[in-house]
Amino acid sequence: MAAFPINSNFQGDFVMQLVPVDTDDTMDQVAEKCAYHSVNRRVAPQPDKVMRVRLHNASDNFPRDMKVSDAGWRPTETLDIIFADQ
Amino acid sequence: MYQIPRAEWYDLTRATNWTYSYVTEEEMFPEEMSGARGIPMEEWETYDEPYKVTYPEYVAIQREKDAGAYSVKAALERDAYVDRADPGWISTMIAHYGAIAVNEYAASLAEGRMARFAKAPGNRNMATFGTLDENRHGQIQLFFPHANIKRSRQWDWAHKAMQTNDWASIAARAFFDDIMLCRDAVAVSIMLTFGFETGFTNMQFLGLAADASEAGDHTFASLISSVQTDEARHAQQGGPSLKILIANGHKDEAQKLVDISIWRAWKLFSVLTGPIMDYYTPLEHRSQSFKEFMVEWIIIQFERQLADLGLDAPWFWEDLTNDLDVTHHGMHLGVWYWRPTVWWNPAAGAGPEEREWLEEKYPGWNKTWGKCWDVITDNLNNGREDLTLPETLPYVCNMCQLPIVGTPGNEWNVQDYPLEFEGRLYHFGSKADRWCFEQDPERYKEHQSLIDRFLSGQIQPADLPGALAYMGLGPGEMGKDAHDYAWAAAFKKQAEVA
Repeated sequence: MAAFPINSNFQGDFVMQLVPVDTDDTMDQVAEKCAYHSVNRRVAPQPDKVMRVRLHNASDNFPRDMKVSDAGWRPTETLDIIFADQ
Repeated sequence: MYQIPRAEWYDLTRATNWTYSYVTEEEMFPEEMSGARGIPMEEWETYDEPYKVTYPEYVAIQREKDAGAYSVKAALERDAYVDRADPGWISTMIAHYGAIAVNEYAASLAEGRMARFAKAPGNRNMATFGTLDENRHGQIQLFFPHANIKRSRQWDWAHKAMQTNDWASIAARAFFDDIMLCRDAVAVSIMLTFGFETGFTNMQFLGLAADASEAGDHTFASLISSVQTDEARHAQQGGPSLKILIANGHKDEAQKLVDISIWRAWKLFSVLTGPIMDYYTPLEHRSQSFKEFMVEWIIIQFERQLADLGLDAPWFWEDLTNDLDVTHHGMHLGVWYWRPTVWWNPAAGAGPEEREWLEEKYPGWNKTWGKCWDVITDNLNNGREDLTLPETLPYVCNMCQLPIVGTPGNEWNVQDYPLEFEGRLYHFGSKADRWCFEQDPERYKEHQSLIDRFLSGQIQPADLPGALAYMGLGPGEMGKDAHDYAWAAAFKKQAEVA
């Protein structure tokens, strides 16, 4: 368990942000931590959607229960956090 | 006493080369300082500055300029314009002075480099006057705001800003160090005077002078005009240097120096001038939108000048043109949201009438930028100011040192342009920022952005209050909304009436 910095690019927001996550966090937890700095601040919530994490500009999302330590990210990796149906 | 006519002696006095007997030419003009690039001295002696002035003429003109600006200031001080000016305009002045005044002194050093090390005698002659110009600009832009320190500590940032690690100061220093303090004399003449001053200084000073007059701020307008007339003269040092480089087989390098300086200047002005023109200046006093001003004064003017010199438009010209609809809106929203991190009070400029103006000037604004401002406005009107204040840092670009921004809302498109170099992951806000880095990684690779400093433990405690302390922002200095959220309340009133 260790702090791990990522570059959060949240759907609908205008700026990338530094967000500290934990290597034990799941992708859902990563999305929540990123949402804290965007949703209800500059991005309207979408309660009927789930938030998914993917590498910047990638087409595939990471599995929701995958841990940060298993994702193979570099420190400060840029991630897109997007609203999805599932 | 008979005086020899100017035309008979002028060329003699500006051709100040001589034959060295105690040192070699290489010792007299070291390459790293002069940047002659193997072009022989006879070629540099063909340097022909378009604007010619003698020292007695220079002194007489400058004395008149100073007398004019200082007497307007003295006469209007009793009028206490600052006490009744719109808070958005006050913020404009405070932001301007902090970003510009001390950098004028730095520009004096850059002019000094040309005055001593340029191989072209005409460049040395002009740069001598340029050194004096920039010294005057530093003094006058420190003296004028000093009179207002009694009104707010933020005015003191005219002098303080560049001595701090505020993010905006880091960005300004990174740019000015690159184009004017850490380049040879020829590169300085191109990057500082041609790339930066010909276009962008024109815009900051002409645009602001127009807005200042409209706003009734005659003191600021006269100061700005006084500075701009100097800029118009000494900005002409780069053109002759470019002609010599191109004529001697160095067109590619000339183009590269121009391209880097134009891009980097554009990014700095997108955060400094863009918000001022489109958001801070009261609606009724706006003469042109930032985009309109950029197209008229930068895009068209540079295209013409570059073509006249035999250079091409920069490879990123289309990107820059497209960014006129995006970048400064993002910089503004970023500055406003992270307002405790700046030394001025950002004016949101997002009230009902202002948003109509933005939609007219930038069609689609409401469904993109407006979406973010909708959430902010609702929070303010529902007593949730806390949600309109930051709890982390924006990610900044490793070239321009400014937040990585893009279009939000329905047309969301925020792009990072990363680069892994020698094991370090760099992030850039645009292709052109990354391209600047790739042209000379040795020059840039060691620089640490605010984020790098945060992650390496230089900022303690490692949280937002720690970052504010690192930036040197004390009580009474941190920015807050310039109009105390009156613009948001206007929407509430509108809804109640409806």
